[in-house]
Amino acid sequence: MLPLKHLVIILLLLSPGLVLAQSKKTFTISGTIKDKASGETLPAATVSFVELPGKGVTSNSYGFYAISIPEGSYTMLTTYTGYTTDTLKILLTKNMLINKSLASASGQLQEVKIKSSTARSNNILTTPAGVQRLNIKDINNVPVLLGEKDVLKTIQLLPGIVSAGDGNAGFFVRGGAADQNLILLDEATVYNPSHFLGFFSVFNSDAIKDISIYKGGMPANYGGRLSSVEDIQMNDGNNQKFGASGGIGLIASRLTVDGPLFNNKGSFIISARRSYVDLFTGFASDTTTKHSKIYFYDVNLKGNYQLDSINRIFLSGYFGKDVMSFRNSYGLDYGNSTGTLRWNHIFSSKLFSNTSLIYSNYTYDVNIDDNTDNIKVSSAITDYHFKQDFTYYLNASNKLGFGLESTYHITQPGTAVATASSSYNDVFLEKKYALESALYLSDEWNASDKLKITYGVRLSDLSVLGPGNFYTYDKDGNKTDSTYYKSGKIVKSYITPEPRFAASYQLNPTSSVKLSYDRNVQNIHLLNNSAYLSTTNVYLPSSNNIKPEIADQVALGYYHTFHNNGFEFSSEIYYKNLQNQIDYKNGADLVGNPNIEADLLYGSGRAYGWETYIKKKSGKFTGWISYTLSKTELKIPGINNGDYYPATQDQTNHISLVGMYQATKKWTFSADFVYNTGDAVTWPSGKFSVDGAPVYYYGARNSNRLPAYNRLDIGATLLAKKTTKYESSWTFSIYNLYGQSNPYDIIFQADPNNANKTQVQQTTLFKMVPSVTYNFKF
Amino acid sequence: MRIQTPIIILVLLILFSSSCQKVITPQLSNGAPQLVIEGAVSDTTGPYHINISKTVSFYADNTYPNVSGASVTITDQTVGVNDLLTETSTGVYTTHSIVGTPGHTYQLQVVLNGKNYTAVSTMPLPVALDSITFDYTSVKNMIQPVVHYQDPAAFVNYYKYNITVNGVKLNRFQTDEDRLMNGKYINEDLVTDTGAIKKNNLVLVNLDGIDKGAYNFLQEAENIAFYNDQLATPATPTSNISGGCLGYFSAQTVSSKSAVVK
Repeated sequence: MLPLKHLVIILLLLSPGLVLAQSKKTFTISGTIKDKASGETLPAATVSFVELPGKGVTSNSYGFYAISIPEGSYTMLTTYTGYTTDTLKILLTKNMLINKSLASASGQLQEVKIKSSTARSNNILTTPAGVQRLNIKDINNVPVLLGEKDVLKTIQLLPGIVSAGDGNAGFFVRGGAADQNLILLDEATVYNPSHFLGFFSVFNSDAIKDISIYKGGMPANYGGRLSSVEDIQMNDGNNQKFGASGGIGLIASRLTVDGPLFNNKGSFIISARRSYVDLFTGFASDTTTKHSKIYFYDVNLKGNYQLDSINRIFLSGYFGKDVMSFRNSYGLDYGNSTGTLRWNHIFSSKLFSNTSLIYSNYTYDVNIDDNTDNIKVSSAITDYHFKQDFTYYLNASNKLGFGLESTYHITQPGTAVATASSSYNDVFLEKKYALESALYLSDEWNASDKLKITYGVRLSDLSVLGPGNFYTYDKDGNKTDSTYYKSGKIVKSYITPEPRFAASYQLNPTSSVKLSYDRNVQNIHLLNNSAYLSTTNVYLPSSNNIKPEIADQVALGYYHTFHNNGFEFSSEIYYKNLQNQIDYKNGADLVGNPNIEADLLYGSGRAYGWETYIKKKSGKFTGWISYTLSKTELKIPGINNGDYYPATQDQTNHISLVGMYQATKKWTFSADFVYNTGDAVTWPSGKFSVDGAPVYYYGARNSNRLPAYNRLDIGATLLAKKTTKYESSWTFSIYNLYGQSNPYDIIFQADPNNANKTQVQQTTLFKMVPSVTYNFKF
Repeated sequence: MRIQTPIIILVLLILFSSSCQKVITPQLSNGAPQLVIEGAVSDTTGPYHINISKTVSFYADNTYPNVSGASVTITDQTVGVNDLLTETSTGVYTTHSIVGTPGHTYQLQVVLNGKNYTAVSTMPLPVALDSITFDYTSVKNMIQPVVHYQDPAAFVNYYKYNITVNGVKLNRFQTDEDRLMNGKYINEDLVTDTGAIKKNNLVLVNLDGIDKGAYNFLQEAENIAFYNDQLATPATPTSNISGGCLGYFSAQTVSSKSAVVK
């Protein structure tokens, strides 16, 4: 590898933004920004200077910041949403280390003051198009199903992000499919983010610090999925004092313990949840219910240790599992586990480094043990991932990011093990191996105090590796050739450059325009031809048959803040072009099928839309309205005569309203309303008889629509007790207040009461679900 | 393993009591009526029948208008025997002389309004059903027949099951293939509707050995008929008859067993 110095020089030569003025003597201010009470580092806090409008820097995911500015005297402002702004007078004559601890602003009223005094242009310029950041505090008051606070459910109220429906943790970002979202927990990929087959997400909000959502303009350090990145960071734990918090809800209870380690040089956090519906089903008189089980649990663990002023290590992990069984004869369990070991190292006040070793696994097992068969079906995907990131704070105008990563994917598309007396043979599908690597380099360039440009490139490679047999197929899906590759042998390599560009131009102190272009490549494909985000998913890496999926997106946005930054308005349009999209042939069988690739079809797609968002950020009443108008279409040879047709997730209109009102010191009320056009679906155009049973025939793919989805939820939080030592609250909520029958399942079937008729039956899961949760903290 | 998802829904319905089911009547597009040809030659004694009808719209009665006036021929291509079928009632065409023999290949030819529809099907070697028993417990309120037979290891086999209760054939069928169970002794629960089989009923199960073309159609038709809610992209089952029609033609072996539900 090139020595760092050379790399920096090369970067300098390559980057147009870097050749600018280096005349006046500059010095670097660097440090870490933390929460005063807990010692938690604060990502995306802003450091700016009253004397240098338009210049500023945001802290990275580890709270580290650095900025080089000309010598002089300054008023340095450190701001973070929900915290009191820190003001510091400095005389800069040498490099300085300034660590900041911000105090949490208690109560909404104080926040009004903060807003009015902050450098209000910052938000307008620093946030690239398509990016949303949510602090966990932002989601606490949004009412949710059964009172389980849920980051993934809450982000579905933001523009451009829509739910895949009740009872489905899947979500669609700007027309992308549910598997096109890169969901990271402390950098580890979480393949299946759902509990209870999708009713809840796997993320326990007590363990989470922050979530960043990228719908476009992805920074070059992210890659691997077409539509979005959800980067979720776990809490580090309080390094000042021991604490515990938790909640007792109708579905699940949770407990979190955190505290300092090694004389406050480190901290830890352990957070666990378990649902307990199953504890009650055991008492049921009905034998089916009595012998059926459904529960989940998850554990988040994290520890960190500050070795010295320039070295810090973090170890974090997640383990979760869902278990369900039906009358002891049919069982399903699935879960994710992840582990991340990270080392932060500050080479100099200008160069920050993070090295990560990451493990991620998703496994599911189905057990069938009835009178006639005993089979266990399993499938898994495992990742071993190395990542090295550098941030180089070159000068006041340029922040460079560069690094490399490499992931070894092992997927087991399916095994089935049966007892000798079973009707089934054992099946072992070949494991698939792939090495996914990337090099990236980007520059955040403050070209002027009005113009900020982030540009970069990511060079990704997917190498399909042996051992294994690789087949080619003709258009009818018959094998035409077979080759065996030895272990470690490269079968096929796909190298794709992914340019990334985002620019913001500030029109005036309260408004800006933003433009972004990015290309993303996806090499892990989820195969699922079931209508449900089923757990029995098959993950396949790109191969000699499956090409990397590619998306190119352009987005243009306008941002405006008004009423003294109390309101934020944004409006964006986007256009996305998709290549190598995957669909299935009729009757494709994905279970235990060694020739699964023969059943796939490939095509292209396009998605475009307009998103509008208005948010009231301060005062007793806060909330937002978001509206999205969009279209998503696919074009796949062999389907609908090769014409464009609407993708399932093509929801033309999507509206959400969220409101939170702090009525008194004790009571906070909230409500949210969601409306969206129903998914595009394929319904029968008529029927005929096969062996006496009505069978349906179909017209064009996805030419029908589910009924529009709509729902109103309300919630209230009562702060029961608040002292410096103990805090407790009650959260009440009603999900789907007016009992709208939103479809979960629609089946076309023979009428059970009239042999001469057929009927359409709809199943609705949630019609008005009240809940109560008790939360405590000490 | 197709029955997984309904069971999951059932579990969810039990646990989330706020859920409910109702009949809805969404507007559906009405396709132009299409031609449906259905028929089989089997290793049981003839005559055999080919039925020609038209599709109807989803909300119409399950009465499918029969189509008369077709010229229907079945040829035993293995021995070169032709049989021109006679329309014995409207839309029902009956054979005269042709005999179903395992291993023989049969061709169906239908000429209607100047259009040709053809299909070829090869009768597999027979597989005998040993016995049937009943499973009273796997699914609540449902008595399920269980079939027992040996799948031959030397061949790729495709099956279809039908159930007759007290002499009345149930409007249901089920398919199977030996892809994951080649050469095994098969014990399999057949899916029935709740209450379709009661105590003291005389239950007859047919095990039909079918070929790949007929299986492909029937397997897709089974998913469409009974599990269409689970398919992300439901589509018209692919007929093994060429020329642009629905339905299937099958040369099949038949083995049946009956038992009384205790």
